[in-house]
Parts: sequence; C-alpha cells; structure tokens
Amino acid sequence: MFSILIVEDDLKLAQLLQSYVEKYGYRAEAVQEFDRVMEVFQSIRPDLVLLDVNLPRYDGYYWCRQIRTVSTCPILFISARDGKMEQVMALENGADDYIAKPFDYEVVMAKIKSQLRRAYGSYALSKRERTVECAGLVLYPERLELTLSGKTVDLSHKESLLIETLMENSSKVVSRDYLLDKLWNSQQLVDDNTLNVNITRIRKKLSELGVEEALETVRGAGYKLRPFWREES
Amino acid sequence: MRLFWREQAPLIFMYAGQLLLTVYMCRLSGFRNTNDLIYICMVNTALFAFYLIYRYIRHYRFYRRLTRPLLSIDESAEFVGNAPLADALGHLLQGKYRLYQNDIQQYRKKLNDHITFINQWVHQMKTPLSVMHLAVQNETDPFFDSIREEIDKLEKGLDTVLYTSRLDAFEQDFVVEPVHLHQLVGKVVAEHKNLFIRNKVFPEIQVDDRLMVMSDDKWLAFALGQLITNAVRYSAGVSSRILISSDIRGQQAALEIRDNGAGIPKQDIKRVFDAYFTGENGRRFGESTGMGLYLVREIASRLDHHVEIESEQGQGTAVRIWMGITHVQAS
Repeated sequence: MFSILIVEDDLKLAQLLQSYVEKYGYRAEAVQEFDRVMEVFQSIRPDLVLLDVNLPRYDGYYWCRQIRTVSTCPILFISARDGKMEQVMALENGADDYIAKPFDYEVVMAKIKSQLRRAYGSYALSKRERTVECAGLVLYPERLELTLSGKTVDLSHKESLLIETLMENSSKVVSRDYLLDKLWNSQQLVDDNTLNVNITRIRKKLSELGVEEALETVRGAGYKLRPFWREES
Repeated sequence: MRLFWREQAPLIFMYAGQLLLTVYMCRLSGFRNTNDLIYICMVNTALFAFYLIYRYIRHYRFYRRLTRPLLSIDESAEFVGNAPLADALGHLLQGKYRLYQNDIQQYRKKLNDHITFINQWVHQMKTPLSVMHLAVQNETDPFFDSIREEIDKLEKGLDTVLYTSRLDAFEQDFVVEPVHLHQLVGKVVAEHKNLFIRNKVFPEIQVDDRLMVMSDDKWLAFALGQLITNAVRYSAGVSSRILISSDIRGQQAALEIRDNGAGIPKQDIKRVFDAYFTGENGRRFGESTGMGLYLVREIASRLDHHVEIESEQGQGTAVRIWMGITHVQAS
C-alpha cells in the first residue's frame, strides 16, 4: 500500500485530505509539528508528499529541497497562490506538480495517481480492483461493468459515473445538479438532456439485471436508488 | 525672448529717458558740441546693449524655463542657471519637487502596502474556502447545492478582488505569448461548470481548434470568466444556451461569447464598460458589482486586444475580444 505524507498547516484541510486519500486505499499521515518535517519524513518514508507552500517556520520550498537531498519521491505542491512565479519556484525547488487552492478532490486524486503511476510503474490500485457494492449489486468502475446475482451488463463511462454516485448514496436523494457536476468531470460538455438520457439508459440496464423501478425520480430534487432487491436475493 | 523684452522694457524706457534728460541738461548748461554729445550717447547705448546681451545670455535657461510648459514633474528639478534670480527659482522648484516626491513616495508605498495586504488576505481566505469546498464536495443532498453555490460565489468574488488589485501592477504581471484558444476556453468553461449547472444554461463551444492567439493566458482566462458569468446570469430562465465561438479576419481573431438572454437596454450600452456601472440589468438581476466588463476592457486594452459589444434588449448580447493571431496550424 502506498503511503502519502501531508504537510499542511491548516489542520482541517489536512484532515479532510487525509480521510479522502485513505478512502482511496492509500495510507496517509499528516505532519503535526512543522519544525520536524524531515524527521517525520525519515520515519515513515512516504511514497508521495503533499506539501503546502506557506508553513510556519520554514516554507514548503525549503522542505522540498530538504526532502530532495534524501529522496526522489513525487512531491505535489498545494498552494493558494496561483501565480506563474510560485509555480516555477515550486518546480525549480524539486516539486513534480502544483495544485492551486481551492481544488477538487478529483483533481488531487488524479494527480496523486498519475504521479504514483509515473514513479512506481503501475497503477497503485490495479492489484486490488476498485469495486462499489450496494446490497449485492456490484460495480466495477475500471471495467465498466455492473453485476447482480451472476448477471452482468456493460456500462458507458457516463453511466458508470452516475450509477457509482447513486450506489454510494443509496436510499438518499442525489440532486440533479450534483449528478451533472459528476458527469462534467468526464471532460465532455453536458446538459440537462444528457442526464435524462443516461438515467433512462441506467434504468434499462438495471431492468436487464432484473431490477425494476429501483431508480426513483424525486420531483424537483433529483434521483434516489432504492436497494429493494435485497429482500429478493 | 518675448518675455525677456517685456521684462526689460521698463529699464529700456528708463534708460532712454535718462539719456534724453542728460542731453537736454547738457544743452541747458551751454554744452554745444553736437558731435561729442552723439559720441557720448553712442558709447552709453553700446554699454547698455552689452549689458542687455550679457543678461540675456546669463538668464537664457531661466527665461526658457519660465516660458515653456512643464511636461513632467521631473523637469521642474532641472538646472535653471546660476544667476541669482535663476538660482533662487531653481532652489524653490527643487524644494517643491522634493516635497511632492516625498508625498508621492508615501502614497505609492501606502498603495503598495495595500495591494500586498489585499493579496495576502485573499490568499488567506482561500484556505478556509478550500476546507468548506472539500467538506461539502461529496454531499449529495440538494441542500448542499446551495452551499456549494455560495462557496462558488465567494471564490469568484475573491478572484475579482485579486485581479482588480493586480490591475495597477499589471506591467509586472503579464506575459504575452501564444495561447491555444480552444484549450483556454475549455479550461475556463470547466471552471464554471457549477455556474452552468445551477442556472441550467449550457455552453456550446465552436472555437477553431487550430487557432493560436497572442495573449496572456491568466488574464484572458479571467476576462473570459467574467463574460461567461455575465452571459449565464442574463440567460438564466430565458434561454438555455450560450455560444462561445471564434472568428478570423485577416491577422485578427475574435473570441465571441453570445447569449440569447435579457440583453442590455439601449441607454445603458455605452456605459457598460464604466467602472461600478450596473445599469438596469444590475438592478433587475442583482449581485452586480459593475466591475466585470470594466475589468474586461481594462485587461483587453493592456493586452492590446479590442473589445466590442452588441446587444438588443430581449434578444441577447454578444461580446467579442479581438486578438492578434500568431498562427493557424494546418490541420
């Protein structure tokens, strides 16, 4: 399992990042004492470092140079400053990439993954494929497949994104805007209609798996996935 | 030269009067030798002429300074000559120059401190915003949509503050280089995806993928963001599409943002680029600071771009930014 060191003096932000990174199956450690960054680094030997620029005592550039004297692990800068100079400074001081605040989880995770992939060759998670499970219904996001009691259907990328979000929040209303936001991450432009079309397709695929009317429309709010097939299986 | 004559005129009259008086007195006292009198007059006049020439040469700079208008504050500290009067004037001007310089320095420092403070403050605010952003990012309840909306507004507001304060120090903060327009538009549109989703207005991008323009990506992205925000805001509830397209005319390319929204009233259109001008739409739609289009035009003029706006009330608005093309890649 890859371990990630988070050096961020805003404790809440550090915590949020830590729990999110852990959710994706990495081990994460946040530095508590900012004059002992190197000692922590030496003791846990992380595979990747998330480093804030503005830190008490010494700044991120300093620690980046320090880390570079002992390790070549990927270092990702996080900073509120989005100026060209700051980015150049970060990269010149030995960082591998730069993320400007405020950022999306998706962006951070994508950059972490890509750095790990570059540095250590393979996908960190491909050894253990990611699955999303909900009452017996299993989604394989990397294979774009959905399985229920032995039957399998193929999904498109957009459908997979949607069903993943719905499964993670089953029995809860997921707003249309939230779903649109998720879809938009797939780089292509979307509109209201895209969502309707994909929801219809998901319903069809669920019925191919023998699940009817599990995906409810909540008028004026969004959609809700009810795992009522649990009783049957 | 004219000032010199005007200044010396009383002295010349006085001299002429004295000369006539002297000749008259001589006549009265019985001195009858006309040739000698003429000789005395000529010698005196010659000496007087020498005096005038000497004075003119010594005060040449002084008079020139007095007659020519000042083009810059620095000119007032120039040397005006070492004649006593010129010297005194020089001292006076230099003293004044120093005082003004001190004042200007003080204000410049204050302004710089203020800009630095604003910059720091904006960056400090970004961390709490990140925390809020991350904390609600995976909340699916519709309630959190509105929280996300407010966070979005805060972010955009902070950006506007940052860019407005940077505008004064613009010269140190921009690099004009080839910018891939299609990529830039894609990036800015993605940054505003929540704005689009919330307002149920969706973009259509028809920007030539091969087009490279001379611009600064950061400032152009910011200006485009302002235009997109406007277009979406005035389209909400009226129309569900905005069109972002490119157009090429000779060595110029235009980036056009067109909406089919509310449009701008005729009486307002001339003033939409003024700072703090909100107009009728500002009152109708709220949340207008009147800075968006002002910033766009300021940025455009500094980047050597040209902005045009076209609008009809009830029909929609189109804003075009004309930029220089570096090249259109062959496809």
